[in-house]
Amino acid sequence: MISMADLKERKNQLLLAALIFAFIVPFLFGVNLYILTVLILMLVFIIYSSAWNFLTYTGQGSLGHAAFFGLGGYGSALIAAATGLTPYITIFIGSGLAALVGLFIGTICVRLKEWFLAMVTFGFAIIIQTLMVSQFSTWTGGWDGIAAPRLLSSSIPNYLLIEYYSILVITVVIIVIFYFILRSRIGLAFAAIRENELEARAAGINPVKYRLFAFMISAYFAGVAGALEIHHMGYITPEIFGVDISFWPVIYSISGGLGTLAGPIVGTVVITLLWDGLQSLGISYARYIVIGILLILIIIFLPKGLISLPDRIKEWMETRAKKS
Amino acid sequence: MVVSLDIALQVIIWGLYAGCIYILLATGLNLIFGVMKIVNFAHGELLMLGAFVTFSFYTVSGFNPYVLLAASIPILIVVGVIIERLCFRPILGTGKLNEIFISLGLIYIIQNAAAIIWTDEWRIIHSPYESITISILGVNMPLDYLIIIVTTIAILVALYLFLRKTTLGRAMRATSQNRKGAMLMGINVERMDMISFGIGAGLAGAAGTLWVVSGQVFNPYMGSLPAIKAFAIVIIGGLGSIPGAIVGGLIYGIAENFAIFTLGGAWKDAISFLILILVLIVKPTGIFGESSE
Repeated sequence: MISMADLKERKNQLLLAALIFAFIVPFLFGVNLYILTVLILMLVFIIYSSAWNFLTYTGQGSLGHAAFFGLGGYGSALIAAATGLTPYITIFIGSGLAALVGLFIGTICVRLKEWFLAMVTFGFAIIIQTLMVSQFSTWTGGWDGIAAPRLLSSSIPNYLLIEYYSILVITVVIIVIFYFILRSRIGLAFAAIRENELEARAAGINPVKYRLFAFMISAYFAGVAGALEIHHMGYITPEIFGVDISFWPVIYSISGGLGTLAGPIVGTVVITLLWDGLQSLGISYARYIVIGILLILIIIFLPKGLISLPDRIKEWMETRAKKS
Repeated sequence: MVVSLDIALQVIIWGLYAGCIYILLATGLNLIFGVMKIVNFAHGELLMLGAFVTFSFYTVSGFNPYVLLAASIPILIVVGVIIERLCFRPILGTGKLNEIFISLGLIYIIQNAAAIIWTDEWRIIHSPYESITISILGVNMPLDYLIIIVTTIAILVALYLFLRKTTLGRAMRATSQNRKGAMLMGINVERMDMISFGIGAGLAGAAGTLWVVSGQVFNPYMGSLPAIKAFAIVIIGGLGSIPGAIVGGLIYGIAENFAIFTLGGAWKDAISFLILILVLIVKPTGIFGESSE
């Protein structure tokens, strides 16, 4: 599948470089617990925003992905507590809960567009949070939440480092899965539905089927991300369904570039670094303002996101060179 | 569970008054949507600003908070005009998701700017009429609720007269009916955008003042939920339909209070979405959707 010719393309070289960098980055700073934690959360959010972004390939969107992020977490935490299996297994079983609910929500959302879709998905996150703290509180511990087993016991030497590499492998596998889905006939069908639903229908593509499929896959991997996060933290509370958690993947994907595989990754890395960098400077409220302004500037001046920045700069340099 | 008539009436009156704040928000959203065909998700942040403007003036001057409507409305109109010029005009016509994303950015900016200015503590101020209750049809209701309901009606009537009787109001309605046609008739549609956004923001400011005088707590992060609910109301009533917004707001306020009463307080926020989802399953364009302008 991967030949030498592929390696000559600039895009693939960059990809390889990024991958190698991801493997050696923990050692660049000496093995530092704070930096490892930041890197682990970065990977979790790369999975999460890639899952969110996957939905946009079919022209859908969601302002309530925290529902799936949290359900994956609760599913995995409860299964791990009940069976005693290692989180590395329960993550993938528990996220089935997110996928199942995703299928249900998707069925309701499949005919809705734009604002309607945004509102309904947003609403589901709130409804699920409410259920967790009221009707289901005997299992979920209400607002206090429950303890979740850690991915690796902290008694293992270098456990965070092992955790980082295991999550890195999971992230790479998930992105590769997305890549192959999008390259297949399914990806083509997604594009057809996104560009013109009527024509897609005329060509024999059933938009409902593909939209549901996208919703389910997106919910499943958002659930995986959520489960990874809570097993890294060691506990889960209903805060995980918060509005912030729903908005982050949107912000990451837009700033990186919607509808590309690299967009959410670039966006997550850049915004997380900015976020943690501002925090280390002791800025708290103002960093939200910085992110907000950055988001608005990107939408207005760089609609294809940060990944289009090099091309834009090149264009700008060329026009300048022509003028002089 | 047996709900006696007294309690039912009481709940309806709570609902009416809660509905008033949502109606002001929803009407503003609808006005903006009608003219510009965009949705401002950061509308609740304008409500929050209105609340804090009222709070600041109140602590400085000690005026009757109802009088401070005269401060919160004009200030919010100015804020609205600035937001329209800087954020929404550049993306007009570029794709419907962009306005949701711009709003997200605005939410972050406004909330946290307010947190820097006023800190993120929960605040409350007390209306001078707090202890007065009056009895209508055997139902006790605080005088404040009555004033809020009357104020809302007055604002809506003023808006109605403005839209129906003045040249500017007619120009705005023309723009919302047919943008190109209005342009050809010599209406400056971009100015209409600005004015409608300003008025929408002003209505949110009024809602903020009413929120404060009704004795509800507020902090810089409280705006999102009322706005989302207002938007749910707009969808329930049909995008762009102002009567729809009013009916939706009333239905919603009453439903919310019944839900708290029967399902428990935890459901206060979730119930709006249950209603929204039910409405959208039955009629994806909202109750008054097709009859809108």
